[in-house]
Amino acid sequence: MEITQQASRGDRPTEPLIFEKHVDQTNGVDFPPLDVPETEIPQNQRGDGIDLPSFGQHDVMAHYTHLSDRNFSVDGNIYPLGSCTMKHNPRINEWAAALPGFSCLHPLQDEDTIQGALRLLYETRTMLEEIAGLYEVSLQPAAGAHGEFTALKVIRAYFNDHGQPQRTVVLVADTAHGTNPASCTMCGASVQTVRTENGQTDLKHLKEVITTVGAENIAAFMITNPSTAGMFDVNIKEIADLIHEAGAMLYLDGANMNAMVGRIRPGDFGADAMHYNTHKTFSTPHGGGGPGSGPIAVTKELAPYLPVPQVMMADDGSFYLDRDREKTIGKVRSFIGQFGVLVRCWAYISACGPDGLKNVAETAVLNANYLAARLSDIYAMPYCDPANGKFCAHEFVTVPKALLEQGVTLIDIAKRMIDYGVHPPTMHWPVHDCLMVEPTETESKAALDQFVDVMRQIAQEISTDIKKVQEAPSESDISRADEVGAARKPVLVYVNDSTV
Amino acid sequence: MDYTQLNPAQRQEMLNTIGIDHVDELFSAIPESIMCKEGLDLMPALSELELQRTLADMASHNHGAHDMTCFMGCGAYDHFYPVLIDQLINRGEFLTSYTPYQAEASQGSLQAFFEFQTQIARIAGLDIANASLYDGATAVAEAALLAMNTTRRHEVLVASTLHPEYVAVLRTVLSDLAVTITILEATDGKIAPSTVEAACSDQTAAVIVQSPNIWGQIEDWEGCFEQAHLTPKVVAIAVFNPIASGLLKTPGECGADIAVGEGQPLGNALNLGGPYLGLLAAKESYARKMPGRLVGMTRDEDGRRAFCLTLQTREQHIRGARATSNVCTNQGLMAMRATMFMTTLGTVGLKEMATQCWHKAHYLAREITALDGWELAYTGEFFNEFTVNCPLDVTTVVNQGKARGFLPGVAAAGRRMQGLSDGDELIIAVTEKRTKHEMDAFVAFCKEVTA
Repeated sequence: MEITQQASRGDRPTEPLIFEKHVDQTNGVDFPPLDVPETEIPQNQRGDGIDLPSFGQHDVMAHYTHLSDRNFSVDGNIYPLGSCTMKHNPRINEWAAALPGFSCLHPLQDEDTIQGALRLLYETRTMLEEIAGLYEVSLQPAAGAHGEFTALKVIRAYFNDHGQPQRTVVLVADTAHGTNPASCTMCGASVQTVRTENGQTDLKHLKEVITTVGAENIAAFMITNPSTAGMFDVNIKEIADLIHEAGAMLYLDGANMNAMVGRIRPGDFGADAMHYNTHKTFSTPHGGGGPGSGPIAVTKELAPYLPVPQVMMADDGSFYLDRDREKTIGKVRSFIGQFGVLVRCWAYISACGPDGLKNVAETAVLNANYLAARLSDIYAMPYCDPANGKFCAHEFVTVPKALLEQGVTLIDIAKRMIDYGVHPPTMHWPVHDCLMVEPTETESKAALDQFVDVMRQIAQEISTDIKKVQEAPSESDISRADEVGAARKPVLVYVNDSTV
Repeated sequence: MDYTQLNPAQRQEMLNTIGIDHVDELFSAIPESIMCKEGLDLMPALSELELQRTLADMASHNHGAHDMTCFMGCGAYDHFYPVLIDQLINRGEFLTSYTPYQAEASQGSLQAFFEFQTQIARIAGLDIANASLYDGATAVAEAALLAMNTTRRHEVLVASTLHPEYVAVLRTVLSDLAVTITILEATDGKIAPSTVEAACSDQTAAVIVQSPNIWGQIEDWEGCFEQAHLTPKVVAIAVFNPIASGLLKTPGECGADIAVGEGQPLGNALNLGGPYLGLLAAKESYARKMPGRLVGMTRDEDGRRAFCLTLQTREQHIRGARATSNVCTNQGLMAMRATMFMTTLGTVGLKEMATQCWHKAHYLAREITALDGWELAYTGEFFNEFTVNCPLDVTTVVNQGKARGFLPGVAAAGRRMQGLSDGDELIIAVTEKRTKHEMDAFVAFCKEVTA
């Protein structure tokens, strides 16, 4: 079937930078006249003045509308970015977060003025505890990596408090998100890599590492389940037992919760701590790179060390913020977390309900396996094999060796997808030359089929018209950006007559 | 509604394609014993209509800057922003896109973030800026780590007038890293440059001074940073308010090497404390060690100007344990709001906003301190926030104020401010949004509550 190319480079001129458009100081805002007497501003306090261009409101609208035309998005494109869970972002959530009764609250207000907001936070907390199957949730962390950092601090505080300060080694799978080891470093912990085999933890190597490092020195094992290879770790119970026998904690990187939500609770397989990414599992928008929110869930043993403040319900049913936990690790972010993101999270979980959440995981896994089943004849899949009962979780990894051997690179394939209006999947991770495809549960069957058609057509083009793929993208706003040049001589701000 | 879109026939067709009868088979590799068989114990699903009702009801149980007169600040300010920001930000192309790793499909976000970086660098008076961090507090901590990484030293000097929440976060972040935090004590609500000079040594990585500080006082950045730089390699970190830059000296003008701050005042709602955005600007020499995402200008293969994420080898997804920070997600959408705000206001609008803040805050300070017993806690210059000693229990002022529709300010005492004080100081912020009428009514209330 012939596919229409969607994006268009056309003859549209590049949108000028605001600094280039700047001709006069047209102002996009006006203020009421000053209604109080002036007070002298001492000369020695005044700055030399800053140079910020501005425009009338119409030109501001035009500028950002033009820029928005130059972006792929979940709303406009298939966006199967592995491990990022680019699901639909419901607009009721945006409506809710913008209600003045939520958006106009100052973070230092007295608790009796914000009972509705605290109720929402408390309910979010308890819902996330139930979904995790763990004892207590902290809503403080600002994003997933921040949640990792916070939970590792909690684990270290626990061991320090229990006379085991030498537990400073954290085991991390070789397929882990880069944030895992980076978070360890920020906590002063050292990292030991555990190998994976066929997308699952290599139990033998895990045992070896425990012996080599010394069980008594290990603080935690950070595991992503399903793994970043898109496979459920079938040995997860054994892994949990091994880690617990070593006296350490099992940490779940919750990036892939979308495959489990409502069906499998991390607490039930032995996780002691985990983080959520609300911008993945719970539909809060990615916003071009944030805001996220990374609530963490922990066992009863770890709970005393959670950061402050914690939202609580009093005996009389009112809500308050507990700022006085004796053993807390302290504060990890200003005020009380990413409240506006958590409003959206509450709205999403409440819209789904328990059955809906279960259906989310099931459909996410179904969609991924459907794609895998329809593509595995052309796009080799090293870990899953749906035709032979070896199913992937909510995402799958393909290493399209046969295609690459015909003379294209992985980047060529990815960039050709852009020509067809499909956002490229995650690339070169967790292994070299791979695409990691996560369709999510909100794509329609028609969209899934369209994705299959695009992938098959690109494979065909590699045989029949390889240049089209090698020179892609040819239909996007720009051809390939010179990223090497950008890093060699960084231009990070506009200076007059900027050229590169 | 769970937002899935498959009908039963389609599901069956897909199961057939995979070659299974039931979706449960996809989970068959997972041990039965860890499956959640009873289902989650959560409230049943709400329809969108019920959601609208329930959320509106919860929102109605809150009072804040929308239905009270807000004089609260301390890191979060009730500033004006044009409605067009709310309209533009909901464009799905911005709202629902991912981090712009694929440059060819993300030129819109990338160009906007490049413009943001330029605006922030200018507002900070420094060479470069990143594309945002989580918030002001974590930006301070990241700046301290950056200074430690570049100097390989392990002591940080922190002004006692830094926002206490920022100090608390800094303590948490540095607590496992063998770092000494030394607090610089203030005199009359400010840090004396001689204090900085005396505290600096060849162990010192950085000096961190916030201005306007937690009391609203404008610090002598120039003096403090000049003293700091007498000791070689010490990094001067300014914690700044971007609105103040519309009128006052920027961190760069005062000799700062790195400037960090809370970006919320730039077109972001109060949101009960988040999502906000952390600002980080620096001299060019820090580019390769800075935390967070950076957008660079480049060319495409045909010579067109293009933008892409750059210097990614600093970042966790390339460098793992040796990354300059674990930051991955930043606050893209908040940075987008901030850049829209700055593009709408420009030099003139920002200066007008800052100037009105100055005049209004000084008007209110004069009127309040004209009352018997109300006096300024500190004698230095201030911008849009000042501290008064209340002639009565500050809790009474706050409580009675609430009953009269005022959020009178932030009491310095108590756990909320991390034990900043045990006195009756009230920190009062005045933005351009406050009217003379509102301020006169507040002064009348203060008079009444004293009587």
